[in-house]
Amino acid sequence: MSDMSNDPKGGFIARFKALPTDSIPKTIFVAVAVCLVASMIVSVAAVSLRPVQEANKLLDKQKNILQVAGLYEDGMNVAEAFSQFEPRVVEIETGTYTDVVDATTFDDIGAASDPTMSVELDDDPAGIGRQSKYATVYLLKDDAGNLDKVILPIYGYGLWSTLYGFIALEENGNDIYGLQFYDHAETPGLGGEVDNPRWKTQWSGKKLRDDQGDLKITVSKTTATGQEAHHVDALAGATLTSVGVDNLVRFWMGQQGFAPYLENLAGGNV
Amino acid sequence: MGVRAFFDRIEPLFEKGGKYERYYPVFEAIESFAFTPKTVTTAAPHARSFVDMKRIMTYVVIATIPCILVGLWNTGYQANAAIASGLEPSGWRAAIAGIFGYNPANPLANFAHGLMYFLPIYIVTLAVGGFWEILFATVRRHEVNEGFLVTSMLYTLILPASAPLWQVALGISFGVVIGKEVFGGTGKNFLNPALVGRAFLYFAYPAQMSGDSVWTPVDGFSGATALAVSASEGYQALVGHGITWMDAFIGTIQGSLGETSTLAAMLGLAFLLATRIANWRLIVGCLGGMIAFSLLLNLIGSDSNPMFAMPWYWHLVLGGYAFGLAFMVTEPVSASHTNVGRYIYGALIGFMVVMIRVVNPAFPEGMMLAILFANIFAPLIDHFVVRANIARRAKRHV
Amino acid sequence: MAQKTKELLVDPLVDNNPITLQVLGICSALAVTSSLQVAFVMTLAVTAVTGLSSFFISTLRNHIPSSIRIIVQMVIIASLVILVDQILKAYAFQISKTLSVFVGLIITNCIVMGRAEAFAMKNPPVASLIDGIGNGLGYGLILMLVGVIRELFGSGSLFGVTILQTVNNGGWYVPNGLLLLPPSAFFVIGLLIWAFRSWKPEQVEAREYKIQSVEAH
Repeated sequence: MSDMSNDPKGGFIARFKALPTDSIPKTIFVAVAVCLVASMIVSVAAVSLRPVQEANKLLDKQKNILQVAGLYEDGMNVAEAFSQFEPRVVEIETGTYTDVVDATTFDDIGAASDPTMSVELDDDPAGIGRQSKYATVYLLKDDAGNLDKVILPIYGYGLWSTLYGFIALEENGNDIYGLQFYDHAETPGLGGEVDNPRWKTQWSGKKLRDDQGDLKITVSKTTATGQEAHHVDALAGATLTSVGVDNLVRFWMGQQGFAPYLENLAGGNV
Repeated sequence: MGVRAFFDRIEPLFEKGGKYERYYPVFEAIESFAFTPKTVTTAAPHARSFVDMKRIMTYVVIATIPCILVGLWNTGYQANAAIASGLEPSGWRAAIAGIFGYNPANPLANFAHGLMYFLPIYIVTLAVGGFWEILFATVRRHEVNEGFLVTSMLYTLILPASAPLWQVALGISFGVVIGKEVFGGTGKNFLNPALVGRAFLYFAYPAQMSGDSVWTPVDGFSGATALAVSASEGYQALVGHGITWMDAFIGTIQGSLGETSTLAAMLGLAFLLATRIANWRLIVGCLGGMIAFSLLLNLIGSDSNPMFAMPWYWHLVLGGYAFGLAFMVTEPVSASHTNVGRYIYGALIGFMVVMIRVVNPAFPEGMMLAILFANIFAPLIDHFVVRANIARRAKRHV
Repeated sequence: MAQKTKELLVDPLVDNNPITLQVLGICSALAVTSSLQVAFVMTLAVTAVTGLSSFFISTLRNHIPSSIRIIVQMVIIASLVILVDQILKAYAFQISKTLSVFVGLIITNCIVMGRAEAFAMKNPPVASLIDGIGNGLGYGLILMLVGVIRELFGSGSLFGVTILQTVNNGGWYVPNGLLLLPPSAFFVIGLLIWAFRSWKPEQVEAREYKIQSVEAH
């Protein structure tokens, strides 16, 4: 910048430019200017990219629901495929649909930390602390409009982290179609094997309850005789993650979770 | 021709300027294995003692003999008992072990069967670890020393009998190279190489190595180790699984090759203490730390974690505590070198082992991790002990 | 000039590598190298930030008062990092989820600040841009090397494509779980530094002290 010292008399701007770089006015000017420009660039980027990011988040969730329902293929149109699902909000305690919140925008996880929307748990095997009073379920109907599958959100604590996932049930509310976690931070290679496709396929076809209606589904190392239909093998070397998955599945499928809703579903009451 | 004469005849080939100068370390290793080294310390100060490194290392290997014997017998006993209860023997061992039968009441059959698990692991350890030792000795031009005999024996004894041989090879490679040679070789390592190798396997292949399921090497056998049972059901439940305190003390329980027997480890320890190789302060510190902290946890108690209630005499006999106490805690290179530091170092191990076993949910056994943890702190402990000493003396001479 | 440009670009790859020689940027090298894809995106992100921040800082270098120069550098670097983060969230959502906080932590990556302070403040913009890119690539080279080792032997795959079929998926390879844990990168980087310095002995630092030998052979 060789023109800096040329002509100090050419007006305010020129005189300002002639000031030494370390002078106070110039220091303040540079600080303000850099901050202004930087904040403008950052805010423009944030605002203009926001819609794409929101769409990504939504797409990610929809993709997970499609995956657990066994409908996802690489490169498919996720939004279109997802339109087959009907999101509904269920009131956990009564097990009935409710319209107090909008099913398309309701945030299950956020609601769990909102005191007006959630209850504190005394008996808390899943280690979640507070439980939302409502939950979003996704109904998949066949062409004739009959219920085919229902996707329920589940989450709970493993060894190091909270595992968030979905469980897909057949229309009778008892046969498991699939289970998938979309967010967790368990040990890679051990607890992280909850993502292993071979482990996940075990869930398919298992039954939550026996003929008496007792909740029998377990994740454990050994199978009791006659209980094969309710048993999923624990992950090798990941005792506590397995226990966590066992607890959270039993919690959400039990009386504190979706049991009232599933009863209503099976009885045709909703 | 005598062996000595043979060595003397070929020695010039390996000395400076000789044809095989590069391979002097190999020659030296074999020669000094057969004869007392000829070289003597020439620079001051002279410390006269009949104990040299070679003798220390040999004594440690001798001290492990009770553990080896009980380990051989127990490994065979566990395998034979599993077979007697209805499991099929398989593999090449079945062909040989068939000669002695699978009767768990027959000590000879047990020894033979145990030996067939011990030997392959030990041979692989010696071959692979020895390869690295000689490679580094040749490149760095220092001598192979007997420390490796100790490392290889300890490493073998803390492995499960069911460890695949390729994992054995990987583990000892990591232990020797990363645990010792990168720091400059024997005497300069601040970690115990055998434990470094074992820890590598523990984290790399946790499904087979982390010590919550048992290691009886018969296909199809599965169950929980004594520590895992205690962690889930409390130590009182052990009797229900057929494990009494006496079983655990003598070592007729499932576990790693040579570390199940507290009694054998104590015999080895007594030998090391009698020969002054093991420093008793380390033992006092380690026992004291373990007993004090487990008593404290007994007092605190816990509704959800049954390990809180485990008394110290059970901590002593389960897992690798006794073996680690006898052979790892007392290892002079990686322990603290000051007397006060030795108490602190020992106590830190005793405290950490109980801490990991009881409080940490992920690892049922904590002795290996506790010792490695304390290894890292040993120089720091020494540093503060020496500082404190200097400060005290400075005060005295104001 | 052409010769010098090439030097600026190539020098940080091996001879003056920010990770193996200067031992900077280790934190993120531990965190993002368990899969190659993530390591690759991180390389691009760091290269873009180092190059562009050096360029802008160099452009402004004659106007930045020395009393606030670190803060000005930080503002420029931070803005670029936020920009990269936003773009990743918009166009590479899955990867940005895996990288999570580590994109944001590029701000604290010593390599970026180091190049700004040591090179861009004293050299013209184009040279600074190339120097920044070169250092970003030198960082990336190590990231990718570590990533190859960790993903291949830890998960049996490269860029998510199965190379060694693992036992859990019905194959023969028993994956090495240690390599999936961040501390393993310490060993791998340590061994790489060892290899680099055996190859180029001039990189070995002078000893801080000499071990006295009392034994005379």
